[in-house]
Amino acid sequence: MNANVEFNHEEFDALANEFRAVITDIICRSGSGHVGGALSLVETVITLYYRVMNVDPKNPLMAERDRFIISKGHAGPVAYAALAYKGFFPKSWLPTLNENGTRLPSHMDQIQTPGVDMSTGSLGQGFSCACGVALAGKMNGENHHVFCIIGDGESNEGQVWEAGMFAAHHKLDNLVTICDYNKLQIDGTTQEVMGLEPLTDKWRAFGWEVFEMDGHDWNDIYATVNKAKAVTGKPSMIIAHTIKAKGLPMLENTAGSHNIKVPDAAAYQKFMDGLSGKKVELPY
Amino acid sequence: MKLHEKEMRAVYAETLNELIEENSNVVCVEADLSKASGTNPEVINKHPENFINCGVAEANMVSVSAGLAKEGKIPFCATFSCFASRRVYDQVTISCAYANNNVKIIGTAPGITQGPNGGTHMCFQDLAIMRTMPNLHVYSPCDVYELKSMMHYMAHDEQPTYMQLVRPALKPIFNDSYEFNPNKAVKISEGSDVTLISTGYMTQFTPQVVEELAAEGINVELLHYPSIKPFDAETLIKSAQKTDAVVVVENQNIIGGLGGAVCEVLSEHCPTRVKRLGVPDKFGEVATEQYLFDKHGFGPEQVKEACRLMVNG
Repeated sequence: MNANVEFNHEEFDALANEFRAVITDIICRSGSGHVGGALSLVETVITLYYRVMNVDPKNPLMAERDRFIISKGHAGPVAYAALAYKGFFPKSWLPTLNENGTRLPSHMDQIQTPGVDMSTGSLGQGFSCACGVALAGKMNGENHHVFCIIGDGESNEGQVWEAGMFAAHHKLDNLVTICDYNKLQIDGTTQEVMGLEPLTDKWRAFGWEVFEMDGHDWNDIYATVNKAKAVTGKPSMIIAHTIKAKGLPMLENTAGSHNIKVPDAAAYQKFMDGLSGKKVELPY
Repeated sequence: MKLHEKEMRAVYAETLNELIEENSNVVCVEADLSKASGTNPEVINKHPENFINCGVAEANMVSVSAGLAKEGKIPFCATFSCFASRRVYDQVTISCAYANNNVKIIGTAPGITQGPNGGTHMCFQDLAIMRTMPNLHVYSPCDVYELKSMMHYMAHDEQPTYMQLVRPALKPIFNDSYEFNPNKAVKISEGSDVTLISTGYMTQFTPQVVEELAAEGINVELLHYPSIKPFDAETLIKSAQKTDAVVVVENQNIIGGLGGAVCEVLSEHCPTRVKRLGVPDKFGEVATEQYLFDKHGFGPEQVKEACRLMVNG
């Protein structure tokens, strides 16, 4: 499938299934990684790259492109799948995740990876960077949007709320942020570790237009992102209700899926066999 | 009014205005200390569209600046040096240096020049911690002429940079013809008995020290280092080979800053006796400059004495 294609439910389901196999494979090959928070974002990232964003794989720095910053930089593998499938770099790069000298590090790196718009990984910072990118877009009179994904655990960071105030104050209506609300972080549920609720009220109180969506429902994602894009005068926050490690039932909804260890071939096989979707042939 | 009769922060602000007029991508970013930095009202009145206030949120300011830089803006973001370095160390590291986003971070009121704000605000480690960061230049200008030239250089150089900025008016060390070069130390005086090294605020005092020691028959070679990183090792080594005695003074902790850089270079390339003067691993406090010079032993009198001891044993 190529840029901003007609939506076909079955084809998108098949693509999501393939992404989940790729993400799980490249993480498991590398011996460890953040599988849960990458699998929770598959439908959102596919929707952005295939139905929403104006990007050009042949010209990753195209001036008028939409910008995309995953502030929860550990979700790199889901972005790498999308970038490879869109043609920003060869699919053969995918299994090099975290290898010595790789262009695909666990946490996203704008210098290493074509199509990555910001180096992220120290939580909270990418969201502020997205605010700067959005403000520059406004100062330059440009029409593109800035899409940013933050984590729910990441939302514990004070910097997230500093950025939240900043974006509202500067009326960054070209900034659409999606919070991957899978309700789990490393040490447990978000409510156990550091309660976020009432999350939508918090963002509303911060001056944002707030939406909620099912982060695994193609139509809901597409409709909600488009509603967010149409907001004027303030930034938009989409609370995406997601399932951590979606598609890998043995890890779904577990905090442990945040970062898994895959010490040997048996463990690799266990995780790959655990994928709930139809088996796919990996493209590398 | 001559340039050197103006406050350093006034020259910071007027130079920012010049840079904005040359290139509208230059932006002034502040975190509710724009009056302290001198940019309010100077920049905010003249170029309100290039002025961004982030409120009291320094971490956000640095990362927002990184985002602006990614889009071709040239942000000069300023706050007190304690916040511009240690408070936002990770933001400078990842958003700016690691990501190679062209942000200029200005640390105002460095070291003892923070005066009445005392221990919480007196930062003695910014040169040390910033110079250990890859892909970050670290500068400290000693007067308005150097400041102005340095800022012009920074605006044209796509390099994440940290610069100290003393706020009040300072004596002229240089003049209009001065051109900043980050790769070269400035030899202010030629001498053969002892090498004296200073940067930033302390270079306000060291030329006088050299004159007074000359009257005593001690010939001091004075090297001013406007750039702590990159660090001009060659000039230091040549001078140390000649004098075989080095005194270094800085408005910083003696650990890790300019003195640290000097010792690293000399110990590897030209082992030489070195005396480091500065704050001996202590926190700051509310006090006058003279009190702190005397208490910690790095005022002009103590610098002179250190040079004498180096020469006379």
